[in-house]
Amino acid sequence: MKVRFLAAAALAAMLAVAASTASARPSAPARAAANKITVWLQVDAQSGWPNLVAAANQQFEAKHPGTKVDVQYQTWGDHLSKFDATLAGGNTPDVIEMGNTEMTKYMAAGAFANLSSQKGSFANSKNWLKGLAASGVYNGKTYGVPYYAGSRVVTYRTDLFRKARAKTPTSLAQFTVTAKRLKKQNSKRGFSPVYIAGTDWYFAMSFVYDYGGSIASLKGRKWVGRLESKKARAGLAAYKRFFTAASRASKTGTENRPQPYDVYSRGQAASIVGPAWFSCCVGKKYTKSTKQFVMPSHVKGQGMPGFLGGSDLAVPAGSNDKSLAADWIRIFTSTAGEKGLQAKGNIPNATNLLGNSVNERAAKRSWFVPTAKNWVNVENGNVLRTMLARILTGKATIAQATAFADSNIELTLNQ
Amino acid sequence: MTSSEISGGKALAAEAALRPRRRRPFTFARFVRGIAPYLLILPVVVTIAAILGYPLYHLARLSFQKYGLFELIARHGTDVGWANYSSVLHDHLFWQVLVRTIVFTVANVALAIGIGTLLALLLTKVSSIVRVLLTAGLVLAWAMPPVVAVQVWIWITNPENGVLNYVLTQLHVGDYFQHDWLATPFSQLSLTTSLIVWGAIPFIVVTVYAGLAQVSHELVEAAEIDGARPWRVFKDVTFPILKPIFLILTSLSIIWDFGVFTQPYLLIEQPRINASNELMGIYLFEEGYLKTDFGRGAAISILMLLIVAVLSIVYVRKMVRAGDEAA
Repeated sequence: MKVRFLAAAALAAMLAVAASTASARPSAPARAAANKITVWLQVDAQSGWPNLVAAANQQFEAKHPGTKVDVQYQTWGDHLSKFDATLAGGNTPDVIEMGNTEMTKYMAAGAFANLSSQKGSFANSKNWLKGLAASGVYNGKTYGVPYYAGSRVVTYRTDLFRKARAKTPTSLAQFTVTAKRLKKQNSKRGFSPVYIAGTDWYFAMSFVYDYGGSIASLKGRKWVGRLESKKARAGLAAYKRFFTAASRASKTGTENRPQPYDVYSRGQAASIVGPAWFSCCVGKKYTKSTKQFVMPSHVKGQGMPGFLGGSDLAVPAGSNDKSLAADWIRIFTSTAGEKGLQAKGNIPNATNLLGNSVNERAAKRSWFVPTAKNWVNVENGNVLRTMLARILTGKATIAQATAFADSNIELTLNQ
Repeated sequence: MTSSEISGGKALAAEAALRPRRRRPFTFARFVRGIAPYLLILPVVVTIAAILGYPLYHLARLSFQKYGLFELIARHGTDVGWANYSSVLHDHLFWQVLVRTIVFTVANVALAIGIGTLLALLLTKVSSIVRVLLTAGLVLAWAMPPVVAVQVWIWITNPENGVLNYVLTQLHVGDYFQHDWLATPFSQLSLTTSLIVWGAIPFIVVTVYAGLAQVSHELVEAAEIDGARPWRVFKDVTFPILKPIFLILTSLSIIWDFGVFTQPYLLIEQPRINASNELMGIYLFEEGYLKTDFGRGAAISILMLLIVAVLSIVYVRKMVRAGDEAA
């Protein structure tokens, strides 16, 4: 009798627990009420120019009384998988900031709303930076509004350069001579005149484009790898020469572990190559003796084409308030907004707004990755990194490494 | 069955037929008592079936569909039959990764169980203070979350200012100035192995140590009196008694180490992942998530499940059969 009672009680208890957890079915998130738009920006905006975001929100809310703006800050590492989850769940944000290299894949999949008809209403749209604007166009339609760009510059120690009696180099050859002199004067083990991570393909490909080569190009409807061309190989050879002379970094290392500015702040580098905002983090000891210049080309008097990084703003196709979303973007990227971004050290999105800062001078000559929908897979497959590692360590000749990389690129882009 | 067993069985059956069959009375009380155990575990079984079976069913269904970013946005996949499986099985990279992962799993499991067993045996021999300290250290290692452990490993093996390079250079083991421990695939995977084995040992030690308590002292002493060296004692006395425990530990370790993702992915980091150091878990992530091809990723998952099941079954059968033969 006692056993039966205990059994029944236990059974009832467990069923109750199972039922309660079973009823916690994931319900579809309540559709954002029509009086709120959700904006996804990157943490760069949160730490760099929060006042510009606040100003845009104020303006928007004044123009559309009753509608609130909910800005949610994302990190570069996981914002795409979060976006994928919202696409699957049907609760996408109304505005999303996308890296310019991330746009093509999502445009090809129909993730964004077509803004072509409203293109003229965005500020300075006729003068948008070519490289940045191109990243927001697919099949002739505009899906992304250029937000801001950043080029790559050389951040250097003015005191060490002065000791080496070196002026701002105007050619690659001059820079190499300076690097060798810096090495002689700073013989501490592991010191790099120019700290460059071996597989920093953003920097290495600048050499390829400087010598007139390219990564891949569209021939008809197929992508063809172009790294095997004479010009591209000449660029890579120049990169290997410069690396050997100037950098003591790991030949197979990446440009984010360690961060170049960390190496710089420890006094282990006389100069580093990277985005202009590197100057934020060079350490208290060297802040006063740090300046920047444009990486020189192998041709005297001009800059080496720099990778034009940047962001676009897009409206996901599933947004409930596409016109409100587009209006927010219009306000945020207005001339006043862009000038605000420029004041924070970024490159504004239009040529008529360009000034003369180092960052903007470096953007005069720039290159961009092939605008193929599968380009992201080439990046994630580390094809270029592997190629550079093999070239720098000598495991393969430049001819072999580029041939292998080209076949990989063609296989991936043409899938 | 031998002929004597058959004739014995026949005799019993004949006897039973002669006796009048007396069934135990069927009462409701007896029915409830009989069915109670199954009713008690029914909620748990239903919950587990729901938590594991439902996603598994969807995963299998997904593996027969084309489901990329385009389908994700449309929220509807298209059926492609066996195309995903065919694509994966025809991929050279899949087979390369599979072989590498099997070798990796064997190495990890062998090291973890080998070192773990040695430590468990050590625990039985040392004084209680040392035993407490050793156990505390093991529990701390066990409690450390994998992500935190990876970060500590990264700091220790940092080329510029990591403690490992410093100590090895100071001890004149060699010149490890700014030695990059992640330079070659072998180095990367060895480092990952050391991290995984370090994290796996505590569980093995605690479990084997508990099992060693079942090995009676008299047996061991008898064997030692007969002149058996320690290795013979372990092989012939301790190991047979611990066999069920080793069976479970090895099966679990194979399952965990075959699909390991966190440690290699965070330690080696995505920019350095390529065809020469990819493991199965990472291959799945790259093909399924980074390439946004969820159908193919699902196919790889199901294949991984089958491979691990086969590996485990083969191993378990071998152990059970060996046990039967010894008995």
